[in-house]
Amino acid sequence: MNTYNMVKQEFIKKWITTLHMLDSSVDHPTNVTERKNAIKLSSDLAIAAARSGATVWSRAIISRTGNKTTNKPVARRILKKARNRMKNRCTTVRRNGSLKAKIRMRKRTELLKSLVPGGESINNKDYLIRETLDYIVYLRAQVDVMRSVAAVDLVIGDLQNVPRNK
Amino acid sequence: MSSRRARASNLGEDEINELVSKLQALLPHSSSRCTRREQMPPWKILEETCGYIKRLHREVDNLSERISQLLASTDATGDVDVADFVRSLLRQ
Repeated sequence: MNTYNMVKQEFIKKWITTLHMLDSSVDHPTNVTERKNAIKLSSDLAIAAARSGATVWSRAIISRTGNKTTNKPVARRILKKARNRMKNRCTTVRRNGSLKAKIRMRKRTELLKSLVPGGESINNKDYLIRETLDYIVYLRAQVDVMRSVAAVDLVIGDLQNVPRNK
Repeated sequence: MSSRRARASNLGEDEINELVSKLQALLPHSSSRCTRREQMPPWKILEETCGYIKRLHREVDNLSERISQLLASTDATGDVDVADFVRSLLRQ
């Protein structure tokens, strides 16, 4: 899928940027756990930045990250861009069907809202699903790229150890 | 795909079902469940979607851990530029 490759490329670009943020930050992570958290944070911020804060989920990630990151100027720049695109799109909910089905749907919908960043602020179901569709594409790109990076582990591991017969 | 933004007020069941089936298209095929691509009920699709998102979140978490460990194993001096490291790996 061509669009998907574009998404991945955009994510990679942004991730390098956010990782630079990490490298130049005052609180340099030292242990494995701190580094892990920093890598995850930069990665999440990167998919949001790749989306340019044009969706509710990406703006939600950016604003929640803004509180955590130590490199304020860069975060502020990304946040500013996101705020310029902020639009209020909340409309009323439409409901159809039996009560039981409604309740079942509502529970699933509430769960979904808790999983998609910024989902709680979305009242329109149609909008929530569109955000979800969008978010999943970027989540997958994030996972695919990070997998590629982590996969090198196997190669390096082999080089460091005694070569085994394949 | 019909116009998204124009029709704000009259979103029927059909439109929502169309969106929900798009969600189904994004979900990974699980061989244990539907062997043929039958239409799942909307609530089921939402449920699967939630499960999928949770799995993806966990993956990001695990992969962050692995990359961090990878860094630790190659970074003796504690001076590695993470960005350059990742960039070089992706250029392979």
